[in-house]
Amino acid sequence: MNLLRLELYKILPYRTFWVILGIFMLLVFLIFYSVHDITINNTQLGAANYQFPDIWLKLTYISSFFNTLLGILVIVLVSDEYTFRTFRQQIMDGLSRVELVLAKFYVTLGLAAVCTLFLLLIGLFFGLRHSTDTSAGAIMQHLDALFYYFLQAVGFMSLAMLFGFVIKKSGLAIIAFISYVLVLEPIIRSQIPDHIDKFFPTKVLSSLTPLPVQQLLDQATSPTELLTPAWATLPALGYIGLFLLVSYLLLRFRDL
Amino acid sequence: MTDLLFLPLLNKLKILYLLPWPFHRSTLKIPKPETPVATVLDINGLSKRYGSIQALDALTLQVEEGSIYGLLGPNGSGKTTTLGMVLDVIRPSSGSFSWFGTSVSKTSKQRIGALLETPNFYPYLTAKRNLQLAAQIKGADPASINSVLDLVGLGTRSNTAFKGFSLGMKQRLAIGAAMLNDPEVLVLDEPTNGLDPQGIAEVRDLILRIASQGKTIVLASHLLDEVEKVCTHMAVLQSGKLKASGSVGDILSANEQLLISAPEQQPVLDLLERLPYVVQFRPDKEGIVLTLSEGYNSQDINRDMFAQGIVLSQLIVRRKSLEAQFMEIIKN
Repeated sequence: MNLLRLELYKILPYRTFWVILGIFMLLVFLIFYSVHDITINNTQLGAANYQFPDIWLKLTYISSFFNTLLGILVIVLVSDEYTFRTFRQQIMDGLSRVELVLAKFYVTLGLAAVCTLFLLLIGLFFGLRHSTDTSAGAIMQHLDALFYYFLQAVGFMSLAMLFGFVIKKSGLAIIAFISYVLVLEPIIRSQIPDHIDKFFPTKVLSSLTPLPVQQLLDQATSPTELLTPAWATLPALGYIGLFLLVSYLLLRFRDL
Repeated sequence: MTDLLFLPLLNKLKILYLLPWPFHRSTLKIPKPETPVATVLDINGLSKRYGSIQALDALTLQVEEGSIYGLLGPNGSGKTTTLGMVLDVIRPSSGSFSWFGTSVSKTSKQRIGALLETPNFYPYLTAKRNLQLAAQIKGADPASINSVLDLVGLGTRSNTAFKGFSLGMKQRLAIGAAMLNDPEVLVLDEPTNGLDPQGIAEVRDLILRIASQGKTIVLASHLLDEVEKVCTHMAVLQSGKLKASGSVGDILSANEQLLISAPEQQPVLDLLERLPYVVQFRPDKEGIVLTLSEGYNSQDINRDMFAQGIVLSQLIVRRKSLEAQFMEIIKN
């Protein structure tokens, strides 16, 4: 906890941090706000999108697109420490390498918690205003989607953190992270049978917040093989652990 | 009369009595009551290789408690690499080191204040907040922050963001941060780098003041004059190799130079040619510069000149320029 306090001490006055977090929140809000205007075949979909309990599935699915932004934020925080040589100074001053990694991991936990809380608030805000069923039961029913979202955010940020530790320079690390998530892994996955590629890191993380209408799509087209959120939890935790371990090993065996 | 005849003999006997064979004067060393000096830093065969470059080659040295140890060498000689390894941020390729007789740990680090290469701070945080962070990591008393800021002359600028500081102020803040925990050992890598003459004088003064409190200081520098002015001991590095080590006096006092002049130069030059203990000499615009072999000094020159009827108008003993000595050390 001391480590988290230390991190907050650095982060709270840091404008870049607030700007990126602010953009994330603004975008999530705007996108979710804009869906009430969508009209398909002259029927307004607005209110339909805000119905409890499905609102949680839709909200977490939409928000998952912006995990990249959170990843960028974590990369900036890690690569800053290399640029300012403050990792180096902190090791000289008495922190261990495990503590350096843990401190950053606590930041991802904190960020994920803040973002999850933010989703809870917008979900309640839109849901209570537009949903026809506002009973406690309806509100609570798919609330576990928020937990899966939290895990997903932590997973993406841990992967981003690893890129930060590997590459050290923010620009390069961001480019590498985005190209891996959006291009490289999908290309690799396309060459590999479905029953294996569903265990790839970003696929596992993505399957924590599936497309809400996936079942409908699967009926219409050939079904895609995807882990259910519950089944994806364990491999996701495994990947988070792996990313942390590799980050630590990099610090352990490289000069600072 | 017989008494008188006996006197020399008695004297001799007395001397013999005082110095019985096989003792020679020099072997009669009276053991000084030495207090055992603790070794603060013990480096043993430390090496670092970057690809094909041997940055440091089997360095062995000991830094004793209370000394100001200068690590001297040109840029790229391995000073920062050495300090980086003993400060646990660079992995040694081989060799070992120990602080206070133990391997490096959180406890040992808290007894050391370190400044390596550059002042490392968060640019967007104020000086004070940067020090608060450092104090938390080091487990230092937060109350010491203000006194440290005053000590390095930044008391009035404590609320300025680090990025707004001049190079000298950044350097001073780094020295301040190193002193936060009132450490027993200060490791300073080029502490006067980038400072103006006044800043350099201040930092040197600060170092001497800290040292006078009995603290041990390890100082890397490429400035000879800095090492000579500040340090008690030194090691000279070049291309990763240890060229010399010992007390500053021992290393720098070797080979003094003399500057002589006389109304007429030619007879002086002729005589110098014949004196066996003159290693080398050359006419200079101020006179004749000469180096004597070990064991001879200005008196010998003066006597021999006078004996030959030459009266010197000037006889100055001067240390060989530090640069010249340094070049000589790293040449071998």
